[in-house]
Amino acid sequence: MRIMKACAQLGHDFICLCTDVDRECGHVDMARELGGDSCVYTISNYLDANEIFSVADHAQATAIHPGYGFFAEDFRFARRTMSRDRSMIFIGPSWWVIRELGDKINTKRIARSLGVPTIPGSDRPVYNELEAENIARNLFDFQAAQGIRDGMVLVKASAGGGGMGIEEVQDLDQFRSVFRRIRNYAKRNFNDEGVLIEQRIFDFNHLEVQVVSERGGRKHVHFGTRNCSVQSTGKQKRIEVAPGFAPGDLPYAFDAAKVLEDITHHSLTMAREVGYDNVGTWEWIVTPKGEPFLMEVNTRIQVENGVSAVISRVGGEFGVNIIKEQVRLGLGGELSYDQEDISFDGVGIEYRIIAENPDDRFSPCSGAITRFGWQEEDWLELSTQIPRNRVYEIPMEYDPNLALAIVWGESLEQAKERGIRFLDSVVLEGESGGSAAEFRTNIAYLRDRTANLLEF
Amino acid sequence: MLNIKELLEDIKANPYKEIVIKSPHTGAVEFADIKPGDKVRGRSGSYSEKPGTLLANLTREKNRKPINAPEKGEVVNIRTELEGKFVEAGEELLTIRHFLTRKEVIELILKKALHLFRAPERAKYYFIPEVDQKLKVSGKRSVKVQDGMEMLIVSRMKRETPLAYSGPEGIIYSVYFTRGDNVDAGEPLLGICPEDQLTTIQDVVAKVQSEWDEE
Repeated sequence: MRIMKACAQLGHDFICLCTDVDRECGHVDMARELGGDSCVYTISNYLDANEIFSVADHAQATAIHPGYGFFAEDFRFARRTMSRDRSMIFIGPSWWVIRELGDKINTKRIARSLGVPTIPGSDRPVYNELEAENIARNLFDFQAAQGIRDGMVLVKASAGGGGMGIEEVQDLDQFRSVFRRIRNYAKRNFNDEGVLIEQRIFDFNHLEVQVVSERGGRKHVHFGTRNCSVQSTGKQKRIEVAPGFAPGDLPYAFDAAKVLEDITHHSLTMAREVGYDNVGTWEWIVTPKGEPFLMEVNTRIQVENGVSAVISRVGGEFGVNIIKEQVRLGLGGELSYDQEDISFDGVGIEYRIIAENPDDRFSPCSGAITRFGWQEEDWLELSTQIPRNRVYEIPMEYDPNLALAIVWGESLEQAKERGIRFLDSVVLEGESGGSAAEFRTNIAYLRDRTANLLEF
Repeated sequence: MLNIKELLEDIKANPYKEIVIKSPHTGAVEFADIKPGDKVRGRSGSYSEKPGTLLANLTREKNRKPINAPEKGEVVNIRTELEGKFVEAGEELLTIRHFLTRKEVIELILKKALHLFRAPERAKYYFIPEVDQKLKVSGKRSVKVQDGMEMLIVSRMKRETPLAYSGPEGIIYSVYFTRGDNVDAGEPLLGICPEDQLTTIQDVVAKVQSEWDEE
């Protein structure tokens, strides 16, 4: 929805895709409103590249925005967009950049070559079960030697992203079945069985650096840091806060300002090295001692870009829109400002409102939304695909995300207070299995977690 | 005890199934040389390797993909106004009236005889890798299941969780779901035959074989 709005603001015509189960989704309403009835096309599957290209050709599209999903990080899709007979512009980094950084293992290699700290673990995709077991055993032994009781390793699909295909393992017996499951999952979803095995670092904070680069990879800036430590048990983000720490407001056991400076420095160093040429996110974990480790690079715009935009000013001006920048730069526009022109003001909090039960391992809740409303404020931006004029059936095929709300405050305290005020104003009713009592959302969880944001 | 004769009579009263052929994906459609009333045949061959009658071609990304009849039957109507046009996914193209086969009738009746393990929720279902491999290598009747055995993976809203079988011990006799397709809550996933009822089930199959005349 934000991509369509950005296109409309930039004066570009667009078409919008939907699947059969998404026909009643609010993004279709918005597309018709902004682009007319003829701009909506029904396809069989968002992950079928042929569908996307076929519609693009029929509509004579000149560029493709891959959204926030798998295609956004699929170098083959990006390459095909650019190299087919009727080529189009891929709104994202060039395919060779995605290939370079899209593989978590290759990213680690590049990072290590530049002296950027990375998490201990395998440095190439593992396919063989015996080899995987050996790596896991070594990591368990290493943690035991470090005095870590009940050590853990993470098993990840090498080609995955966005928290998908990641599981924690506590012992070797469990490791075997999880390894097979993740390998199977990776094969089904990414067509690559490669698995990455890493040490699980406890009590860490998950930080991100928002990088924006010009086509050609010559000029790079960052739009600050985000803290994405509030996550579900499945490692899906629930609240994001910008900036990543609040050293002026909260005490830390380490020099938090220096950590933020270090990770932005490392991220830009890597962006320069690989010639990064669009919008991307460098993901970091920071240990309780303040040690940052690069986790991965997401070579795409992320859902949470808006929380960085809301605290950013270019030339002192409000209204930064990173998606708009992505489209503009993707089409060859110039990055007309430098890092010195970018400043930061206040604190942003992003809430992901989801139909799920946080008390039951964040299990998704199926059903229908019957009522959704909230108090409008000038410090609040809310995006939702839920139509306000009819009952909305949550599709089973996708994450049950319902809305994305971004709150801005002059200080952390004010942002938190406004966040609570917003959450208290939300009226969200629905039914699951025919019962209103069975319908679950994570609003109470978001409210609980607001109190301690950015504390470490 | 099942009254197979009565069940067969019920099915004989309405032995047809209307199959709506929809566009599987986007593309430009060209109908084959068919008209309402034409008989079409479905997939055939020992391994279903022979495609059914060509109904239409759908061209997308320079790939001309044939749309063949999935089952034998009679063409009821064709949307000729779509000829040569770009269609979206899911667009209805034509309808076939299909006379139920012996195998389909057996499956219908077996659904009443077997213990059905049903989908607890609308989702996509997969066998866990170990079971999947065994089914592929040795066939479905090679897998014995028992209460509490982890057997399936439930995939919904992009999350996967294991699902244990609950019900009487037995062998997998029928699998009602297809990989990648959604199954609604309450729909059968598996038909389980307790070992002591294997003879009854084989009797059902034999009876239908002898009493159902295919068109």
